[in-house]
Amino acid sequence: MSQKLNERISELQEQLRLGKISRRDFLRYASLLGLTIGTAEALAACAPKPPPAPTAPTAAPAKPTAAPAAPTTAPPPPAPPAKEAKEGHMLMFDPIACTGCLKCATACADKWATEYFPDVAKNTMNLEFSRIRPMRFQFVDVVNVCWYCGLIKWAEGSELTPCAQVCPTKAIVPVPKGEGKAGYTGMGYLTVDRGLCLGLEACGRCLEICEDQFASGISFDPIEKKAQICERCGGLPVCVDACPEPLALQFVPVQRNGRSYAQRPSDFAESLYNRMYGARGRV
Amino acid sequence: MAELTGYAGKIARVDLSTGKVTAVETPVDVLRKFLGGSALGMYYLFKEGVADPAVKPFDAKNMLQFMLGPMNGFAPNARSTIVTKSAYNFNTITTSGGRAAAELKWAGWDGIQVVGKSDKPVYLEVIDDKITIKDASKLWGKNAVETEKLLLRTIVAPLESRETIVTEADMTPEWAKIRPPGGKGIGAKRLGAAWVIGQAGENRVWYANVITEGARAHGRYGAGAIMGDKKLKGIVIRGTKGQKFADKTKFWDLVKEIQASEATDYFWRSYGTAGIGAGEANSQDAFPVRNWQWCAWSDPDVVKTLDGPFMDFTSFVKRFACPGCNLHCMYTTEITSVDPLMDRVIEDMPDWESMGMVGGNLGFLEQKGKSPEDTFTGTQADRAEGLAKNQFATFLHDDYGMDYIEGGNNLALLMELRQRNLITAADLDGIDMQWGDIHAVDAIMKKIALRQGVGDKLANGTWESAKYFAEKKGNPEILKYSQTTKRYGQPAHGVRSGLDASALEYVTVDRATEHTGGGAGANNAGDYPAAIAAQNAKCSQDSLVYCIFAAGHWGGKTAQLVQAATGWTDFTEDDLVKVGARQYAMCRVFDIHTQQLKDPKKEWDMLTPARWFEPLPNGVAKGKMAYDGDPKKLWDVALPAYWKTRGWSEDKGIPTAATLKSLGIDDITEAIAAKYR
Repeated sequence: MSQKLNERISELQEQLRLGKISRRDFLRYASLLGLTIGTAEALAACAPKPPPAPTAPTAAPAKPTAAPAAPTTAPPPPAPPAKEAKEGHMLMFDPIACTGCLKCATACADKWATEYFPDVAKNTMNLEFSRIRPMRFQFVDVVNVCWYCGLIKWAEGSELTPCAQVCPTKAIVPVPKGEGKAGYTGMGYLTVDRGLCLGLEACGRCLEICEDQFASGISFDPIEKKAQICERCGGLPVCVDACPEPLALQFVPVQRNGRSYAQRPSDFAESLYNRMYGARGRV
Repeated sequence: MAELTGYAGKIARVDLSTGKVTAVETPVDVLRKFLGGSALGMYYLFKEGVADPAVKPFDAKNMLQFMLGPMNGFAPNARSTIVTKSAYNFNTITTSGGRAAAELKWAGWDGIQVVGKSDKPVYLEVIDDKITIKDASKLWGKNAVETEKLLLRTIVAPLESRETIVTEADMTPEWAKIRPPGGKGIGAKRLGAAWVIGQAGENRVWYANVITEGARAHGRYGAGAIMGDKKLKGIVIRGTKGQKFADKTKFWDLVKEIQASEATDYFWRSYGTAGIGAGEANSQDAFPVRNWQWCAWSDPDVVKTLDGPFMDFTSFVKRFACPGCNLHCMYTTEITSVDPLMDRVIEDMPDWESMGMVGGNLGFLEQKGKSPEDTFTGTQADRAEGLAKNQFATFLHDDYGMDYIEGGNNLALLMELRQRNLITAADLDGIDMQWGDIHAVDAIMKKIALRQGVGDKLANGTWESAKYFAEKKGNPEILKYSQTTKRYGQPAHGVRSGLDASALEYVTVDRATEHTGGGAGANNAGDYPAAIAAQNAKCSQDSLVYCIFAAGHWGGKTAQLVQAATGWTDFTEDDLVKVGARQYAMCRVFDIHTQQLKDPKKEWDMLTPARWFEPLPNGVAKGKMAYDGDPKKLWDVALPAYWKTRGWSEDKGIPTAATLKSLGIDDITEAIAAKYR
């Protein structure tokens, strides 16, 4: 777009904002200036928002005084309340509302790459660092993330998560409330002790037992190939904040064993496909 | 040399004749000049000699290029571009959304250039740097949706595929006792993406598409036919290497601003392109109705069948986004119909071009026995049947892997010839192509996709179909019903009312009768500098490569994004526009050379539809015609003036030597252009 055209479009946006021209006029003028309707629609949508309407004065204006009043500094707006880390919560996604845009995974990958590989993360983005991954099957998106399964003590002889149970070095451990790094680990959620993890080349039992019987909650970082599990960011999951779609990804207080929710992503996709499209078949 | 960021740094050259895969490194000065995607693809068509008329579209030497730009990977709204010599023997530049481009960048490639031909069906498996040519004989004969599904199941990176090692000793005795022996193995994750062709591509239907994500298409000029000719059924990709940036912080700040802006854009976020059909085209008198005999329904109520809310409540299932995009313009649908042929078929919305070209244009929206000028008196259930036909015709095109713009023109031509009794059912192997008959469309499309019977004649597109019948019947009048410009089908934006697309735009756009070229309003107004600026801007979008729907949200940030990705801190918005000017000049020289046009204006540019210059029969612009019904105003006034503004010759539209030199592309184009001046 030429500079001149840019200026003219900006003027039109301003006129639209001030209500001097209608949206329809905006579209017509913009397309006369050579923009496609799609582009013009987009520009109309991002015309600057009008300022808030002036509110009626609540008190009589102060009388002018001889000496100007000392400038008062307006108090800073109250800071938004800090988000509270939540324990015992589950990540739940809505497979219809999710668009598969990958923003959750991008936010997750960047956070954890920066935490463990700051030198690499300085100039690189890589979704392989993410613990949460939307997977696109044919006409279906599945958000794959750890479900926090637990074995059943009286039936299976343990109440650990299956991945922790098979880990030969006991590297998958919960970080109790009050411990860990705020916003990263803690509040009872699991983490992987990277010093103990043997990595995919030597081990990988956690991944295997998860896909074998439960879901697919384990991934491996692409550099050291150590196991990654969703820490729920210590109760402040960055993926939920990154999600642009209302109610597509929620952090909810579900107290039950995640095993009753867990699905292998391929199975999840098949049942969703069958349900959503009234069809039968593996995707 | 500083490390290349934004880009992966290499393009794969796959020779299917020899089975060799090599890596091509593009010099930085070439990248700065052409960026990637469309312009870089055109550069390589010249550099590798594909512009030469001796290289026919279906020659082994033709090169099929899947090209990326510096925005592919982590910028929002990124698309992929395919560049090749079209089956129609002009340039093909065609883009599509989906995840495949990002996966390819993450695998460490800026593109794949396929040359040669395989003897047997193959597909390419790309896992990071490793590209393997694999046997596709079991996939050959399958359509796009099924092929992609099967390919995606096979793509498992080393991270996800490994031998099982868990033993009973790793478990508690109680747990081990109830675990099925041997376990169920690994491979439940599905990461990766694919480009595939359906049967139309296999059979070299000239307008065959390359499909991804079931319903996204690299459409129009037959990239799928070239892929099928090379016996390449698909490309499946899994990338785990990520993307590097010169200034990641700045890049992400810009990305977040764009995404935040998109999140407020409820034109796209509501129902995608549905807003165009009902909201605009009908009231602009620019909607294709029955092979463009009409451009609106006299009763606007007819077009409510294509309203976003109506389509949503009737059939939408789920929204799909490309990576990082908050506009999610694709909706999958499940067709609901009383007709078992269509009921429960899975498809996408239709989007605008298919609403026009295989909706209104095939007479699917009127009630039975009524004309486009009659009042609509039907129920919502009647509307649902009209919508179902539109969606099913879209599905047929996507699944066979065919373009529904050229396809819609082709089918509508047959229907109008039938309407005028210029052909009969006997000319179409017994298929009676009546307006609104989806079963006839189903039957004829199968013949076209498989090149069976008369389908073999029709598979070469609208103009060739008209030519075939004109010769068969000894009636040249038939050619005038071919709604083609430069022998290629017109997209779903009418030009006669002057309120939507522009005749000049279709004649001047860099690829034959392209519908997203831009500059329509300015072209209509005769403001050539503004029209050219818009067209050039569009080319930079296809070179970077990102989406036209999101362009408004990128406004003013694009050059900064390139700077942040690549580190070219002196890169400006003007540089972007120059890329477009280079692309236009390259496309023009390529098209003239490959077709050996001695007088390109007469032999090609003036091949416009007769109907443009006939009065509109109804609607707000009733009576209006393109250029007041005088083609000379288009050919002899507007076109030379436009060419002059571009720095091209006024008689033939060939870029002058000075223009090519100032654009810095004289090294690859001047010797060729000089032959035709």
